[in-house]
Amino acid sequence: MTWLAALGIGLPRDVSIEGGRIDSVLHQAILATSILFAVLFAVLLYAVLAQRRTASKETGSSPRASWRTLFFALGVFGLIDGTLFVRGLRDINDVFWDFDAVDANPDAVRIEVNAHQWAWEARYPGPDGKFGTADDLLSTNEVVVPSGAPVLIELASPDVIHSFFVPNLRVKRDAVPGRITALTFTPNQVGTFEIACAQLCGVNHYKMRGELQVVEPVAYAAWLARGSDLAARAFDPEDPAADWAWDWKARR
Amino acid sequence: MSALRLLWSTDHKVVAKLYLWSGLGFLLFGGLLAMLIRWQWAFPGQPVPAVGGLLFPGSGGAIAPDSYAKIFTLHGLVMIFFAITPVLIGAFGNFLVPLQIGAREMAFPRLNALAFWIFALSQLMVLSSFAAPLGTASAGWTNYPPLSTNVGTPGWGETMVAGALFVTGVSTVLTGLNIVTTVIRHRAPGMSWLRMPATTWGMFLTSILNVLFVPVLGSATLLLLFDRLFGTKFFIAGAAALGHGGDPLAYQHLFWIFGHPEVYILILPAWGIVTDLVSFFSRKPAYGYRLTIGAMCTVTLLSGLVYGHHMYVSGMGPMLGQAFMALTLAISIPSLVLALNWLQTLWGGTIRLESPMLFSLGVIVVFGLGGLSGLFLGDISLDIYLHDTLFVVGHFHLIMAAATFLAVFAALYFWFPKLFARKLDEPLARAHFGFTVVLLILVFGGQILAGYSGQPRRLFDPYQYQFLQRLLPLNRWTSYFAFALLLAQLIFIWNLVKTLLGPANAEANPWNVGTLEWTATATPIAANNFAEVPRVTRGPHEFEDGEPVAQNAT
Repeated sequence: MTWLAALGIGLPRDVSIEGGRIDSVLHQAILATSILFAVLFAVLLYAVLAQRRTASKETGSSPRASWRTLFFALGVFGLIDGTLFVRGLRDINDVFWDFDAVDANPDAVRIEVNAHQWAWEARYPGPDGKFGTADDLLSTNEVVVPSGAPVLIELASPDVIHSFFVPNLRVKRDAVPGRITALTFTPNQVGTFEIACAQLCGVNHYKMRGELQVVEPVAYAAWLARGSDLAARAFDPEDPAADWAWDWKARR
Repeated sequence: MSALRLLWSTDHKVVAKLYLWSGLGFLLFGGLLAMLIRWQWAFPGQPVPAVGGLLFPGSGGAIAPDSYAKIFTLHGLVMIFFAITPVLIGAFGNFLVPLQIGAREMAFPRLNALAFWIFALSQLMVLSSFAAPLGTASAGWTNYPPLSTNVGTPGWGETMVAGALFVTGVSTVLTGLNIVTTVIRHRAPGMSWLRMPATTWGMFLTSILNVLFVPVLGSATLLLLFDRLFGTKFFIAGAAALGHGGDPLAYQHLFWIFGHPEVYILILPAWGIVTDLVSFFSRKPAYGYRLTIGAMCTVTLLSGLVYGHHMYVSGMGPMLGQAFMALTLAISIPSLVLALNWLQTLWGGTIRLESPMLFSLGVIVVFGLGGLSGLFLGDISLDIYLHDTLFVVGHFHLIMAAATFLAVFAALYFWFPKLFARKLDEPLARAHFGFTVVLLILVFGGQILAGYSGQPRRLFDPYQYQFLQRLLPLNRWTSYFAFALLLAQLIFIWNLVKTLLGPANAEANPWNVGTLEWTATATPIAANNFAEVPRVTRGPHEFEDGEPVAQNAT
């Protein structure tokens, strides 16, 4: 497998509590489909190359043989697709799409992200805990979160569809004009990780790059305090560009 | 026959050839666009060799971001709607369906010719869109609004291409109606449903899907055109929509209700062709023929119910998500049944590895790879990570590009003696196969690996992202393979030119098979196909002592 690494192939380093679930399903799926493909391919090669009989007398099929084929297909389906389905179901219902559970957690970090051509605007509620007030902390192309706490992000877009993708966290969600969508993750390693736009959003789609900074909880608290202080002083009620907040959970 | 009479012909065989040439022309065009995309990913920002100065004078011969968006948008649209669809359904559907069921013509010959000319108009619209002041379309082949509205892509180039999509849809529906009617009404005496070759079954089911679902694409495109031209807001929301906007996701639902069946529209004829050819060249009846047809019908039924997997990360709720996940995974059952039946047909057969058989085996292998990679995307938790990455691109290219094109070549090499009364050169055909199948797998396999490593699709310069800089060697290798893939097609072009310039001396039944187009027609085929309408007495894949029995044998 070193040649894969030499070509740069491999999953980005997982820096979240939940990402391992996706990696585990992914590797299981790779194993299962590889085995299935290898077996079928071997049968094909053997049938084509090794046993070219002449003047076959076989009639080809019978209802019984067709039932056998069908049952074999159902068996493989139950085994591979069944596992994928059950694990996928658990992943979305218990973790990736279970936003209410995160919202109920008092330690959860809540952020509103306004994705537009071609930047990510993040908004933190500030000390009052409400979005759209003078103490909101605003940040462009930089989302700062503490390590170890669940993060819940609400996404919106004023122009075209974007998609918030953090490869290191294995999360992705579209920002759709007219809607509020959500995504959640729990980072567990400190560092700076890239936010990519995954949905074509125009000429500069490729430049819509943000950074997710995962910092220690103490550093996060300090950043938040300093930022809110600055925000309150910089607040300008006349500035339409900063006037994009929405009521948390109102339209999700 | 003079050129003018050729153009006015309502003969299904002539119409088929018109589709063939216009489709192959656009196939080359779409392929060249793909080379530009690959150049950009291998050598971002560097001038394109040879043609760069001519194509991109404003940016010193290098591809600029706006040109890049136009290139990949048109690559997708051209390949799907103006290359694969006309070649597979327009050319082979038109040519084969009447011949294989023993009909003298399509049910509506003039409608058939009209459908081609409507299609030609749509191709002309695509080409003329390049002359628009802001250039041609650039919102991706899926045309997602609001990007595809004036909010994201003003100018009449985008409008023209959306219009072309609508116009080609009209043509596709007319052809679909024609094929469905022909198969239902014009089968020769004795040609019962289960005596039809699988190829005709594939064309028939595909045409049903076209008639049902292309109008949905048409309506979505029409509403999009209203948004662009008349200031409506069906799909516009956000800051651009004063007051209450529409819903961009409504477009996605409409698009994918068409868009997912479209995958099956393109693969069903390929499945049919492979089913027949594997049997013919194994000198054995198609194993489990009824089950194979049943599986193809099941896929046709399910195809409209799985489209939601294209929208897992659009904000879909868990309830809808799990329903689509179950249906999507379920469609792998009939697909696996098909593969198992092909393998069991091969098993114990008298295999003749001539070019149509080689290409059919190639279809089975790349369809296997493409289908299995599809399982990943049917599963929601994997799709959260893989969606909109090159994994998706590699997956659907294995199915829609690799499998369908290998099937097109299988069909072309196989039916060429009936189309042009000439047989293509066999050694060249085998060389063409060898290079093509290996390079297709390397190119699209490379894309799957890049997607696994996290590379989002449609990035002008992926290396803006630090985590993608390590993928430059992989992308460069994939590009080299893609360039080689294009070069390998020169073998085919050379073979085509050489054979067409050579004498028309093909035997009447050079592959020795039993279906009507080989056993009941002359070479070249007469204007009304059959001297007398054949009486069909048996199925398409019957053999006695390893020799095929003609379907119209008494």
